[in-house]
Amino acid sequence: MNESDPSGPRYWKSLDDLAETPAFRDWVEKEFPAGASEMEGVNRRQFMKVMAASFGLAGLGVAGCRRPKQHILPYSRQPENLIPGIPNYYSSSQPGRRSNVPVIVETHTGRPTKIEGNPSYKPFGGGTTVYTQASVLDLYDPDRATKSTEKGTTLTPAAVLDQLESIRKTHAGDKGAGLVFLAEPSTSPTRAALVESIAKEFPEATWAEYTAIDESTAERAAAAVTGKALRAIPDFAKAKRVLSLDDDFIGFGEGHTAFTRGFAKSRKVKDSKDASKMSRLYAVESTLTSTGSAADHRLRLGSSQIPAFAAQLAAAVLASKGGDAALIASFEKAASGLKVDAKWIEECAADLVENAGYSLVTAGSHQPEAVHSMVLAINQALKAPISYFEVPMATKGISDVVELLNKGSVSTLLILGGNPAYDAPVDLDWKAAQAKAATSIYLGISPNETTAESTVFIAQSHYLETWSDGRTLDGTLVPVQPMIEPIFPTLSDIEVLARLAGSETTDAYSLVKATFAKLGGKDFNKFLSDGLLADSATKAVTPKLDLAKIAALLAKADFSAPSLSADSLEVRFKASSHAGDGRYANNGWMMECPDPMTKLTWDNAILISPRLAKELEQVQGIQIFPGHKPMNKKSAFIDGAKGQQQLNKAQFKRGKELAVFAEITVNGRTMKAPIHVVPGMANYTVELPLGLGRSNAGRVGTGVGFDFYGLRSSDALGFATGASIKLTNEEYLLANTQEHWSMEGRAIVREGTAVYYKKNPEFANQMGVESHAPANYGKDDDKSLQDKAQHNYRGNSAYEHPTFSKPDPNVKIWKGNEDKFPKTQQWGMSIDLNSCFGCSACVVACQSENNIPIVGKDQVLRGREMHWMRLDRYFSAAEYDQSEVPEDVQVSFMGVSCQHCENAPCESVCPVNATVHDKQGLNTMAYNRCVGTRYCANNCPYKVRRFNFLDWNKRKIGEFYKGPLGPVDEPELEKMQKNPNVTVRMRGVMEKCTYCTQRIEAAKIAQKSAAGASGDIFVRDGAIKTACQQVCPTDAIRFGDIADPNTEVSKAKASDRNYSVLGYLNVRPRTTYLARLRNPNPKMPDAYEKPFAYAQYKKRYGSSGSSPSKHDDHSDHKEEAHSAH
Amino acid sequence: MANVFPKWVNLVPIKVVIAILLITTAVVVGATYYFTPKYSRVGYAPTQPVAFSHALHSGQLEIDCRYCHTFVDRSEHSNVPGSNVCMSCHSMVRKDDPQLAMIRDSYESGEPVPWVRIHKTPDYVYFNHAVHVNRGISCVECHGDIQNMEVVHHDKPLSMGFCLECHRNPEDYIRPVEEVYNLDWERPTDTDSLEELHSFVHDWNINPPQSCSGCHR
Repeated sequence: MNESDPSGPRYWKSLDDLAETPAFRDWVEKEFPAGASEMEGVNRRQFMKVMAASFGLAGLGVAGCRRPKQHILPYSRQPENLIPGIPNYYSSSQPGRRSNVPVIVETHTGRPTKIEGNPSYKPFGGGTTVYTQASVLDLYDPDRATKSTEKGTTLTPAAVLDQLESIRKTHAGDKGAGLVFLAEPSTSPTRAALVESIAKEFPEATWAEYTAIDESTAERAAAAVTGKALRAIPDFAKAKRVLSLDDDFIGFGEGHTAFTRGFAKSRKVKDSKDASKMSRLYAVESTLTSTGSAADHRLRLGSSQIPAFAAQLAAAVLASKGGDAALIASFEKAASGLKVDAKWIEECAADLVENAGYSLVTAGSHQPEAVHSMVLAINQALKAPISYFEVPMATKGISDVVELLNKGSVSTLLILGGNPAYDAPVDLDWKAAQAKAATSIYLGISPNETTAESTVFIAQSHYLETWSDGRTLDGTLVPVQPMIEPIFPTLSDIEVLARLAGSETTDAYSLVKATFAKLGGKDFNKFLSDGLLADSATKAVTPKLDLAKIAALLAKADFSAPSLSADSLEVRFKASSHAGDGRYANNGWMMECPDPMTKLTWDNAILISPRLAKELEQVQGIQIFPGHKPMNKKSAFIDGAKGQQQLNKAQFKRGKELAVFAEITVNGRTMKAPIHVVPGMANYTVELPLGLGRSNAGRVGTGVGFDFYGLRSSDALGFATGASIKLTNEEYLLANTQEHWSMEGRAIVREGTAVYYKKNPEFANQMGVESHAPANYGKDDDKSLQDKAQHNYRGNSAYEHPTFSKPDPNVKIWKGNEDKFPKTQQWGMSIDLNSCFGCSACVVACQSENNIPIVGKDQVLRGREMHWMRLDRYFSAAEYDQSEVPEDVQVSFMGVSCQHCENAPCESVCPVNATVHDKQGLNTMAYNRCVGTRYCANNCPYKVRRFNFLDWNKRKIGEFYKGPLGPVDEPELEKMQKNPNVTVRMRGVMEKCTYCTQRIEAAKIAQKSAAGASGDIFVRDGAIKTACQQVCPTDAIRFGDIADPNTEVSKAKASDRNYSVLGYLNVRPRTTYLARLRNPNPKMPDAYEKPFAYAQYKKRYGSSGSSPSKHDDHSDHKEEAHSAH
Repeated sequence: MANVFPKWVNLVPIKVVIAILLITTAVVVGATYYFTPKYSRVGYAPTQPVAFSHALHSGQLEIDCRYCHTFVDRSEHSNVPGSNVCMSCHSMVRKDDPQLAMIRDSYESGEPVPWVRIHKTPDYVYFNHAVHVNRGISCVECHGDIQNMEVVHHDKPLSMGFCLECHRNPEDYIRPVEEVYNLDWERPTDTDSLEELHSFVHDWNINPPQSCSGCHR
């Protein structure tokens, strides 16, 4: 029956209902995020038919459905060090192009399942990036290379070795002339040694290195001005003032976990007395990045204008430091033509100079060498806390290889890793060049674009299957250990190079061990168990700047800041958060992990500023934003309750972002992709995230997103100017997981400035409804957190609350001995918003630990993503105008997972007691009881419950709708990644964060087993680390026993910045947050008294405060406004 | 007089009969399926590929449980021994016994012996052996008098009710930790000894979980 054609009388509740406005329908259906609760493609009748069939089948099976006979297959010979049921942990490292990530890998009976950072490596402190977390999935990627091929026919492992041997033979006579290597950079000393011996044997051979996103500009700049390639490693923990010149040192870059961690350390504030010690970050940037969101002052400026800015700043800093007048003059000359508030630069420079010795400047690796040379000069003048290390530099790059190929002088081309056919600069025309090589051999981890162009493809092993070694950014030697024998007949780059070098042994283990001994290592086993060689970092050197060379560099460089406009745009090429440079394109976890800023999944888009969007709209007459029409215009309820209903100014249709397709033209090359508007972008900068739109990536990544490599030429790898955008009438759906641009006026994220905090330490608890409402705990409000956690006092509530401090009533043994009853440990979490920069590593760590499935773009569009941990990103603007997307924004991040409410609203609505509280304060989910009513998700104020709408685990993406008779094939390879200690949930079951209950129980069991016949059963603080806590490089997440005042988490929660989200609901969440602080410089032209979010909150609610004793003091506010200036 | 009953009432008796029949069948089938010992598998004693006798090894020869089930006090699983464990004795004792041919073959070939699983908790139950045996709960509490079984059978229901019975009244099942592997240990009945057993619960802070999270993850 058609719903819009009802028979019988019609009743209505409101005028909207009567009119059946789309907005009202929206409102009614919004129980779940858009589209989540609909069943599309199947109507009820069809469904019943199919279900009846399956019931019938089930009936046939009843007789034989007793438990089937099962076998236990023990080892024939029990191997050593392997206890079934106990995971083994091995240290290793994830190889990088510049820096390896030291890791510890959890393996279950030989299957690596989870990667964690190695805490022995102090600069990372156990943290990793999101990519490292996701890399374990690549090992079990069903599309990875399973065999080597020659023109499509399979090569046996022996044939592959023959191929390598024949290369040696062919080039034995010509000393390697015509033999060309194009390799991905590597940090492995073993590989470097092999390359050296190849060079000795084949002196005429060419060795070149290429990676799409090059981060070595600073090193090349240092080589130009000091004569040595120097890598700068800033000590952010020591820095009090930092200026970033378009450098996203927090969100991007290999080995930058150390920077993020150091920077977070300099921002940690214990109490209000500490507030003034907080560091300050200035960011000048073209695109919105994690670094910009962490910044206290942020200036939007095109990448092409940064050199002039840097010159101006250098002039200001050097002038006040009494620098060389000629150099200052050359800086000033270079800076002419820059249109930036001079006061901004002046005050920023003054602040840096004032804190000389504790201030530093960094520049993005896409910026030209001239900028980096100026940064060197500035940092030297500032005596910045930076150590410099000398690093080897590759001499030849991909353009040299292309030149050789085009000359026709290449007989054998060996491509070691990478994917040049996909990511080489477009002007080099790699595919045509590669075809000119007589033989091209490609060693790659999966069949991809380059495989198709190569004669021979050699399947490469995953790093969890190989022996190797490497160095971290600071040069510390780390091992790469195999966790599992190669699953398929594959070879590692070391094994291939060893054969080509004709080395005596081709066994990677012996080679790595030999290198270790050569580098002065003594105890190889200790090296493996520690996961690093202590004190092996490269020795720091002091750079000797040659000022004349800087001046020469500047003279050569073109600093004339080009004027940008809607007709002459600047494009900025960046690695996408999903796929990096393209290497993670077939990794489902990465594709579904929302981008920290845009919150897009499974896509990349042309990112433009609101100003540009508006101008394009005006000029080209195609709407990017929808018309200004409040969602619920006539509803008196909404207007009356909250002021005006807030709007999404972007094109959103119930969570599905309808984006306008546009043609972008850069230097005569044109691409078509959807547009996404990002506030906070420089007005005429367009960001193009690279790495998607792969044509041959595998089942997950092929054809997902858009490939912008087609616009990138070798003279403008980082950014290019002179681009233009033409809007089209086509539209495209983007799967955006967060369309809300404000907090609906609620004080969810709480922020203050350092100065304000110092004056008003209680500010975080003077926001929100709870500052007006009676205390949740009533007369027990002043009791300690520990006391409250154990007794769960009733407060003003009408209901009796369960207590955690007494034995269960059905237990006799403690009667009369109640005083002896052991205290149950009460778990709680604290998240420091001041240390969260949105890296999303927690999201994927949780996914990896808890067997969380991916659902695909189609399902994300329906609001069915399964992440237990979501990272909310909020924008706030100085002036809030609901009809405009603001241009300048402050960004706040907040990780939200199940808050484990003591008075959990989800529990009281479950009809089958599937979600109940346990004695330790956890809100537990018994999957087997769940019948899928979804009442709990409805009643959850934090929206953290996830429902298995379909069989995500048993079916492949695209086959979810095949019905009960559809194929159910859980791929064996993917199954191997699953954590055996966590239930794999089936269709129809609700799930959510469990506080990693498997880790809690494991720790408790270990403690109790060790206790034996004693009462020593309390788990030590720090023995349990939840997956999100473990991975967090900034230690923003703390977890532990809140019934003990001496635990880390209790100490964090004792802070006056501690607050509960939606605390006024009296749900008493066990996860609480520490309010964020910003540290603006009052002298800056863009100084602000309160963070935008706070100011906005004050504006809306500030005057309605009813209890003056608790609420923000208004007279104080005024006074502070004076003192701030 | 008009008809008091509408016409559809004619069919009511037959509908009621059919309904009663259906309900009775469902109850009978349901009860037979769920409420007979077969559901919990009590008494299940499959034939094992090698006729290993616990009565002989554990009862008569008094070999400690942990000689073969090596990791029971360390891991969640109580491992079934590999053929190498059997061979550590049977390479000398009864080394040509035809009954042991399969073990010898397995040891030589590396193929595991396909023992038939008897005790099994469902996949969503995470039972941990180590914490039980280390805290004074003996093997016999769940596995029965294994030392007297010629052929091992499923002795206890291992249902959730069975688990909770002990988790609620641990004092009735706990024993001194040094007696855990002494399968012949008999529970004393005098008040003093019982009091001592009760004191274990207090002194060792035994507070077995009754919440879902204790076993389900």
